[in-house]
Amino acid sequence: MSAKDLVAKLTALVGSDVVRSDAVSLQAYSRDATPMFEGLPEVIVAPRNTAEVAKIVKFAHDTKTPIIARGAGSNLCAATVPLNGGIVMSMTNMNQILEVSKSEMIAVVQPGVTNLVLDQLVEKEGLRFVPDPGSRNVSTIGGNVATSAGGLRGLKYGTTRNYILGLEAVLGTGEVIRTGGRLVKDVAGYDVTRLLVGSEGTLAVFTEIIVALAPRPEASKYGVAYFEDLAAAAAAVEKIITSGILPATLEFLDNTCLVAVEDFAHLGLDTKAGALLLFGDDGDSISIEQSVSKMAEIAKSSTGCRGVTLAADVAAADALLYARRCSLPALARLSSLSILEDIAVPRSVMAEVVNRIEGIGKKHGLRIGTFGHAGDGNLHPTIVLDKDSPKEVAAAELALAEIFALPLEFGGSITGEHGVGSAKLPYLEAKIGTANMQLQRNIKKVFDPAGILNPGRIGS
Amino acid sequence: MREKFSQDKLDRCISCGYCLPACPTYKLTGNEESSPRGRITLMRAVQNDKLPAIDLLQESSFCLGCRACEPVCPAGVEYGVLLEEMREITWQGKNRPLIVRGLFFIVDSKIGMWALGLFSPMAKRRSAQSDLHLMYGCFERRLFPSVSRAVAKLAPEVSCSSDQGCCGALHAHNGELEKGKEMARKLGEKLPGTILTTAGGCAAHLASVIGSDRVQEFSQWWVKREITLKPISKSDRKIRVGLQDSCHLRHGMGVFAEPREILKQLGDYVEIPSAADCCGAAGSYALLQKKNSRKVVSQKVAEIKELNLDYIATVNPGCTRQLASELRRARVKTKVIHLAELVAISQK
Repeated sequence: MSAKDLVAKLTALVGSDVVRSDAVSLQAYSRDATPMFEGLPEVIVAPRNTAEVAKIVKFAHDTKTPIIARGAGSNLCAATVPLNGGIVMSMTNMNQILEVSKSEMIAVVQPGVTNLVLDQLVEKEGLRFVPDPGSRNVSTIGGNVATSAGGLRGLKYGTTRNYILGLEAVLGTGEVIRTGGRLVKDVAGYDVTRLLVGSEGTLAVFTEIIVALAPRPEASKYGVAYFEDLAAAAAAVEKIITSGILPATLEFLDNTCLVAVEDFAHLGLDTKAGALLLFGDDGDSISIEQSVSKMAEIAKSSTGCRGVTLAADVAAADALLYARRCSLPALARLSSLSILEDIAVPRSVMAEVVNRIEGIGKKHGLRIGTFGHAGDGNLHPTIVLDKDSPKEVAAAELALAEIFALPLEFGGSITGEHGVGSAKLPYLEAKIGTANMQLQRNIKKVFDPAGILNPGRIGS
Repeated sequence: MREKFSQDKLDRCISCGYCLPACPTYKLTGNEESSPRGRITLMRAVQNDKLPAIDLLQESSFCLGCRACEPVCPAGVEYGVLLEEMREITWQGKNRPLIVRGLFFIVDSKIGMWALGLFSPMAKRRSAQSDLHLMYGCFERRLFPSVSRAVAKLAPEVSCSSDQGCCGALHAHNGELEKGKEMARKLGEKLPGTILTTAGGCAAHLASVIGSDRVQEFSQWWVKREITLKPISKSDRKIRVGLQDSCHLRHGMGVFAEPREILKQLGDYVEIPSAADCCGAAGSYALLQKKNSRKVVSQKVAEIKELNLDYIATVNPGCTRQLASELRRARVKTKVIHLAELVAISQK
């Protein structure tokens, strides 16, 4: 179908006020937060309700038109770049929090609500929406579910997948299904909810999401420890966890990241340190007092520790956490291109893996800044390079291939929390095996027989 | 005439989208192209010949230029500069709005500036000992002459010279970046030493050209004097007063604690929830994009009404004008007043 027909038919279906096809709009939706991936859509549509979503998907199905649901476009795996043209369905008009039930500790939301907005609203009820990806002030719940977004609290509390109780979703045929519900216990049928979480828009489009909330902890406490290098910090992390503490937060940054973050946040961090470990816990004030001081002691007595300081108050702790969340964009201060990776490895080998990453950087003459969720073994090595230097770009490609090989060698994963998207798809089969890859393709066909939902991604 | 963007400034943006929640036009529309990140994507497309420059016209006009996206950007993207470049590239020839051409015409000539000050009861010219010069502003001297009068009264050490033109912020923000810089440099020559201004927008522009060490915005300067102010009373109670930040003063110069510090001495200070958000005046925006400007301010008007304030203090003439006219329209009794005038009332 020609682009012109596509626009005309969609307009007839849902009205001209939510359909855009001018060159400027199309260009604006040609990318997400992933560098080096671009593709122009043919039309943008921003439905207002489930019925409109169903109509649009049915239309895409009948006309075999690619369709990508998009939240804030803040994902880091090129999951929402329209590489095959077609329709970009922006979910930003569906941004209502439909219900917060304090007694059931759940909220019912539309997919376009941003993570932080939801958390701030439920805070008034003494509750918390736990998953807190770095992008929480911009990313949407729909996008969080589609990528099973992680964050800074993964070790103690899990990730998005642990907080989704039920979904209303539109299948690739335009049919509307409901999965799960409002209950903690519910084993009626296959766990389709869990299957859809992290499906990156390839199986269904979410139109309503029932999320589990948790009581807001009474108190929290954070501190920072400085180390000679990242491996020393990693070793301290291993010591902390094997000592029996399960803290809310164990994050680290190497010196490259530390300098970039300090340049943005001006927190007075020790930029001479080789690495920074941000540790902290939340809960009742007595137990966190214990766990945090124990963590501080362990860090102090660890090899290569340069010093430990505790955040004076909540504001100081929030500033630290915020600065950590800004690590990636802050790295952009260093050069014209940053290529971020997202590998996960068993914690026990983390120290070895960070050393290997450093070695890869040295070998290829590249600057690699590594930060990550140390407690989860989730590392974000980020190559910062000059995009106009063919030599550096070529070296980065080689380095990336070597970095990808690390999780496979150590029994880890090619992506901990960002997703597969287009960026990691070439490596997926190596990670999950041929039979599982075939299963993923079969699953995709059941949910989306015409192959229109985010084509070219997982299982397509 | 500029044809290309500064590539290094475009490269800074990694499209993380952290700016989206801070952007007033994104809040209004939810459209990517109406966000800072989206607009930078468009600028890149023009830079790489994927879009004709003229396609930027609508978004370069819709953007308020409030720069609220800058302090929240971890990558340090200088969006304000990119916007000025975008307007310089697109607002040329017939694409320059007529109103902007009219405004330029007035402030570009000596006669125009003279006419703006004609019969306007602004601070009388005088030369004091110190090298601190009060800036009259261009339209400020016509619309709010009482502000310069208030400052002159508060500070005998300030010189007031009648021979001063426009600082060029108007030009820089409306597609004449180089000329705007040139005008700032000229003003810097006319007023040697430190320039004291009561307009946040002018302060930020001047500081970016002649250096922040030579520019003092009123609140910045006043807090350094360390004078204890008497609270202002109204029917036997302290006044309830709020503040409207100046976008460029706050986001461009990082000055926002100072006016609050002063207001806390003057009365019961109440922080309006949207105090840091643009009021929609945005220089010439209120004239060029009337409808959108009113949409942007509507939430703020509701908040001010709800809070039942006696005064709302401003630190930039555009905001004074916008809030005064919108509050009048909504029949809200809160009086809009420049911070300097409020300080002057307390010193009476």
